[in-house]
Amino acid sequence: MTSTTLSRRPLRWGRVAVHAGCLAALLVMLYPLVWLLATSLKPADEVIASLDLLPGRLEWSNYSTALDGVNDVSVWRLLSNSLLIAGGAVLGNVVSCSLAAYAFARLRFRFRGPLFAFMIATIMLPHHAVLIPQYIIFNQLGLVNTYWPLILPKFLATEAFFVFLIVQFMRGLPRELEEAARIDGCGPFRSFFKVVLPLTRPALVTTAIFTFIWTWNDFFTQLIYLFDPEKFTLTLALRSFVDASSTSSFGPMFAMSVIALLPIVLFFLAFQRFLVEGMASSGLKG
Amino acid sequence: MTTTDVPAPARPHRSATTPKRRPKREREGAAWVFLSPWVLGATVLTLLPMAVSLYLSFTDYNLFDPPHWVGLRNYTQMFTEDPRYWRSVVTTLTYVVIAVPLQLALALVVALALKSMKHGKGFYRSAFYAPSLLGASMSIALVWRAIFNDGGTVDNLLGTGGWVNKPGWALLAVALLTVWQFGAPMVIFLAGLQQIPAELYEAAAVDGAGTWRQFVSVTVPMLSPVLFFNLVLQSIQAFQVFTPAFAVSAGKGGPADSTLVYTLYLYDRGFVASHMGYASAMAWVLLLVIGVVTAVLFRTSRSWVFYASEGDR
Amino acid sequence: MPGHRTKGFCASAAALALCALLAGCGGPGESAGGGKAVLRYTWWGNPDRAERTEQAVALFEKRHPDIRVQTSFAGYDAYKQKLATQAAGGDAPDVMQLDYRQIDQYASGDVLLDLARQKDVLHTSQIDTGLLATGRVDGTQYAVPQGRGTETVVYDVTTWKASGVPLPRAGWTWDDWADAVRTLAKTTGKPGATDPGQSEDAFEVWLRGQGKALYTKDGRLGFTADDLTRWWTFTDELRRQGAVSPAEQTTQLDGSVENTPLGRGKAVSDTNWDAPASGFLALVPDGIALAPMPSGEDGTPGQYFKPSMFLGVSANTGHPKEAAQLVDFLVNDREAAKILGATRGIPVNETIRQELGPQLKDFDRTISDYQASLEGTLKDPPQAPPSGDNALQTTFQRDYDQVSYERMSPREAAENYLTEAKAELRS
Repeated sequence: MTSTTLSRRPLRWGRVAVHAGCLAALLVMLYPLVWLLATSLKPADEVIASLDLLPGRLEWSNYSTALDGVNDVSVWRLLSNSLLIAGGAVLGNVVSCSLAAYAFARLRFRFRGPLFAFMIATIMLPHHAVLIPQYIIFNQLGLVNTYWPLILPKFLATEAFFVFLIVQFMRGLPRELEEAARIDGCGPFRSFFKVVLPLTRPALVTTAIFTFIWTWNDFFTQLIYLFDPEKFTLTLALRSFVDASSTSSFGPMFAMSVIALLPIVLFFLAFQRFLVEGMASSGLKG
Repeated sequence: MTTTDVPAPARPHRSATTPKRRPKREREGAAWVFLSPWVLGATVLTLLPMAVSLYLSFTDYNLFDPPHWVGLRNYTQMFTEDPRYWRSVVTTLTYVVIAVPLQLALALVVALALKSMKHGKGFYRSAFYAPSLLGASMSIALVWRAIFNDGGTVDNLLGTGGWVNKPGWALLAVALLTVWQFGAPMVIFLAGLQQIPAELYEAAAVDGAGTWRQFVSVTVPMLSPVLFFNLVLQSIQAFQVFTPAFAVSAGKGGPADSTLVYTLYLYDRGFVASHMGYASAMAWVLLLVIGVVTAVLFRTSRSWVFYASEGDR
Repeated sequence: MPGHRTKGFCASAAALALCALLAGCGGPGESAGGGKAVLRYTWWGNPDRAERTEQAVALFEKRHPDIRVQTSFAGYDAYKQKLATQAAGGDAPDVMQLDYRQIDQYASGDVLLDLARQKDVLHTSQIDTGLLATGRVDGTQYAVPQGRGTETVVYDVTTWKASGVPLPRAGWTWDDWADAVRTLAKTTGKPGATDPGQSEDAFEVWLRGQGKALYTKDGRLGFTADDLTRWWTFTDELRRQGAVSPAEQTTQLDGSVENTPLGRGKAVSDTNWDAPASGFLALVPDGIALAPMPSGEDGTPGQYFKPSMFLGVSANTGHPKEAAQLVDFLVNDREAAKILGATRGIPVNETIRQELGPQLKDFDRTISDYQASLEGTLKDPPQAPPSGDNALQTTFQRDYDQVSYERMSPREAAENYLTEAKAELRS
């Protein structure tokens, strides 16, 4: 009795300390975001010149300017374009990367070692080096100014980062489960879908979240391949709005940045609950 | 190892009814079915462009006129005639050494803190991840520059003056922008920590292991594949660092070239100066260097990374 | 590494890519449905420019029911990269807005159409010959200027007046300017100007004031290491005296007015192009004014009317005539000019400029008046800079950074620059 109360007290204090530490760290971490929010409401002359964090007076017109700014194309159109691309990318990456990862993690085939090494090597290739050749290929296929160059690569598991991520997770799963499944007569396909995939859910959710955010923010690829403003994404339209070569207006620009961030934040918040569930339910109990 | 499948844990009483092992060829066929999207993508969208860029690295190519073969000139020019190239190499190495350990340590500490939490885990995870959402956003560049400028928040608090406009300090501001976005490795650490079976801790506790002992003998080995994954990935990404340096220096790599990291200089040569051949050569040298570094990491990993499913190695 | 295993593959891939590059990848601009000619027209700019351009294009489509125009725009840096990638893929838009520094590269890369062949529909008689010549490479008219701008000393009027330093006047020299910024620094306590040493544009004005040029007619360097050393020594001394902005301020220049020392309230004046100077209105509450750039000792003006942007037509276009009609409309049409205003710089068509000038409002009017005050006093613009200049502009800044952070002497930095410039111009 006494021994349990004794051992619990420091534990509770330890918890308080952990929370205090985390909150303090958060304060520092989130300061730039608070700064961004505050600045998005500042009038132009205060944006750079004033040192105060909070705006002297609230300039809501930054936001209305930001919303007007995206010319003839409605914000909703831009938003749905962005969602279509990001959604397609998520689906593509989850499907193709988990398939490839299963082969690398669990199946035996010729050249597995060299191919795996090559897959890793493709993570290292600086993106800028293959940009021009890739553009030429898509141009030859007549796919420029469509969403294919943005989505198709994801269905072909070109983002080796995620293949590697899922491989690492699958390697951590106990092999006995599949062995048991195999003894029960499951082939590689059934044991992939019935046994391995459900256990890999945390990695798949992680893949989905990262793919969504990275695709959403991937300004450069969208810029290169999309031509028609009707096909523009939110990120692309916002950045077109922000043009340093002409009269730039920092207030509306920060306001737009906030608007462009909202969908990602919402996606993350919505999805992260699922992430918790996914991890809790799949776990290793299955 | 290569000729035999991993032996299934034999269950003698069922062995009579176990279906016959599938022929090896069929299983190999299955592997290729799983791999087919990747194979197509890797050939057409990765290998082919890589081959083209390798070819371009031996040419003088300005995007407009057809490439013109120059042999090794790009490489010799890079190594012997371009002091700015070597400055970018040194800058990048410095950056890697600062940013990677700092970011991983922070991500691991936070993940461990969150793991032990009963309440508020979801909130903290989201909050700590928030900066990473901003990764490629242009606005964050301006925020960072304002905060680390003369009269910015950091100057006011620490009295150091501006960071982004001093050659000795600017790279640190760049590194901090990366470290600040530790969300990705943190989430991966956390997912890895969740996967460690609670039974292992219980067993260790039964054996009388304290918190530290449990950390060393359960958490570290069980987490080592994830730690390895993060280390490899963050190192590779650090060698390729582009956005933070581009953001903090407004794309110039200044002041006085102090943030001109490798890929920023590559981008500058290729897309600003239109020397795609030279840029391709730079990309291939970078690829080889990263390859060597990764190979070394993989080599050393054998002594410290523990895979639950391959304990027989 | 994959390289050695796939030698044969590499070779065939390279050959394939080469073919793609040489063949130009098929012609864009095929007709879409309805028998209409479809033109793609791209430019860089801000939403205001976009909105006005859309209106002008709508008017064009109304006048030419058989032509449909697809428009697209982006910020300058993004636009430049996108256009380069498209051009490299043989997929340049039918009508494209081009910068001074792009002309030479795009022309010699056979991306652009010879516009003289469309002179039936594209008229250039209303454009100043000197200005028109800037769109010519090796005697061929590849592009037509669409607007013009010039450099200016933009200053905080109230602070300058309060300091008692005589206001800048037409014909002042670089020595006058240096005296002014020195006195300003003494009386106001902040630097008199942005350090112009980092700016290739300012250097060009200084150089032209001495009868020299950045580039010779055949695209070689038009100055020596001595010239550059003198310029950098001049600005470096002013910096050491505190008369112009310190390195820590100067290095933050990124093209936006917000990050200039004047915009940040840390200097009294800035040297800039006239059109973007309007951005200072919001940042300098006491008001700003535009003054001419300093001239050479003997009064030779260094600044010139520079085409702020050009229009070019793709050599691969399926509709050269229609594309030329669009260019003509944007440059010469009175109605279009009214819609476009000064969003692309002050119009180059002389009749339109005289008609439109008095109707302009606000800062457009200020710019128009400023340009009118210089009319007839400036020399012809130089021809479009050679393609290597693209890279050299940043090199210029980087090398001067080494001077202002006191890591190199002006002489060392100048010699570095010349080595790089020569290599750049050779290739």
